[in-house]
Amino acid sequence: MWKITNYIFRDLVRSWVIIGYVLLLFTSSWGIFSLENEPDKAILNLLQIILLVLPLLTLVFTTIYYYNSLEFIILLLAQPIDRKTLFKGFAAGLMGSLALCLIVGMGLPLVFHFPSLQSLMLLICGLMLTFTFVSMALFISTRISDKAKGMGTVLLLWAFFAFLFDGLLLFFMYQFGAYPIESIVLGLSFFNPIVVARTAVLMTTEGAALLGLSGAVFKDFFGSPVGLAVSFLAFVSYISIFFRLSWKTFEKKDM
Amino acid sequence: MITINEVSKSYGKQLVLDQINLEFPAGQSVALIGPNGSGKTTLIKLILSLAKADQGGITVNDKDVSEGGSYRKEIGYMPQMTRFPENMRVGQLFKLMQDIRPDIPENAYDLELYEAFDIRKMEPKMLHALSGGMKQKVSAALAFLFDPDILILDEPTAALDPVSNETLKSKIRHAYESKKLVIITSHILSDLDEIVNQVVYLIEGQIAFHKSLDQLRQETAETRLNKIIVTLLHKMNHHVENH
Repeated sequence: MWKITNYIFRDLVRSWVIIGYVLLLFTSSWGIFSLENEPDKAILNLLQIILLVLPLLTLVFTTIYYYNSLEFIILLLAQPIDRKTLFKGFAAGLMGSLALCLIVGMGLPLVFHFPSLQSLMLLICGLMLTFTFVSMALFISTRISDKAKGMGTVLLLWAFFAFLFDGLLLFFMYQFGAYPIESIVLGLSFFNPIVVARTAVLMTTEGAALLGLSGAVFKDFFGSPVGLAVSFLAFVSYISIFFRLSWKTFEKKDM
Repeated sequence: MITINEVSKSYGKQLVLDQINLEFPAGQSVALIGPNGSGKTTLIKLILSLAKADQGGITVNDKDVSEGGSYRKEIGYMPQMTRFPENMRVGQLFKLMQDIRPDIPENAYDLELYEAFDIRKMEPKMLHALSGGMKQKVSAALAFLFDPDILILDEPTAALDPVSNETLKSKIRHAYESKKLVIITSHILSDLDEIVNQVVYLIEGQIAFHKSLDQLRQETAETRLNKIIVTLLHKMNHHVENH
């Protein structure tokens, strides 16, 4: 498995998309810290990048890479190698290289400018989102054989998590604003990895104060060690569920 | 070496292979031919267990293909046209293949094609920068690298220059003369008559005929494979019209 990972990783780190991604992360992180005097605000700005750019890039890049590698995967599958090993190696290569991008591109500026708990939290959430969206993209691209349909589905998924979900949640909150729905909203928010990441990071900064009454409920929950553990658990289940589903699909698939 | 028993496969509603029975012993070189969409590629995929049969079974050296991939140790596969990873070098690809076959010691590699095609010179090149013919040389050299007993070659000569074409053909001839099994699909029938001794013709997922080349030559009084096929297809069409 690690042999495959090694070669996939080495192929990926030379790709211009990956290099561009590191540069983008690095320049924006460094730039934001240079412009912003209060590190807490800078963290919030960086959070926006992690919540919008990172999921989009991860989803699209993983999907394209999978479809483009399919013929090569078939060549490897003609060797005496089992599908599970190959798929895990392939996914590990993808996750590893995208995670390295984040660690180098955003981690270095964070360590240099603002080595703190907030920065660590931001980085961990970024890594978790990377792994989650790689798994989701692999799930979709193994399920859908048609490249264009797969791409469309992935973009739709991104739009759902990045915008539509918030819209629906807000709509729900307005409709039932008269009732004590904080705990329901809290529960619903676990269906969107982006929201989990956003809340988890926000609660470590002073931005939490801006959230008003529901913010207080959130802060009580997410700010506590239990809340942190639950967020972490949510990520682990996203990753394991989607990753498992995708290699199960891959194992049975007609190439 | 390969036994295909009552194999059917459909994609959605489309029946691609319809109860195929075939037996390929060692020492044969089989031309697997037929019009587009006749099921050639699907049959190859089933043998390599890249796809699973809906019905029936396939055994390779008496091992059922659905029971683990170790039977593929004996198979060298050359795909039609491969899109390799963009940023991998030719040398790295060979290294990767050797890495996933630790069971074959380095002195057991069959480097004849590797040397004949001068791949050592190509090693520092990026795979995406190779021309179609060069990619095909790389694929061919890889298929023969581990000296397998069975070779499955999908359109092996489509993009090769005349000299390399002859090199590959003599390699294939040598392979089945030394009791290996070779299965070739190709639309370039003129390339096939020097390198096959059996012909399987598929039409719409069924075997139209499976005969030795010598027998076909006798039946049709033609020597070239493309003439033979045309004559036979004429006869078959005639047959259908008369009924």
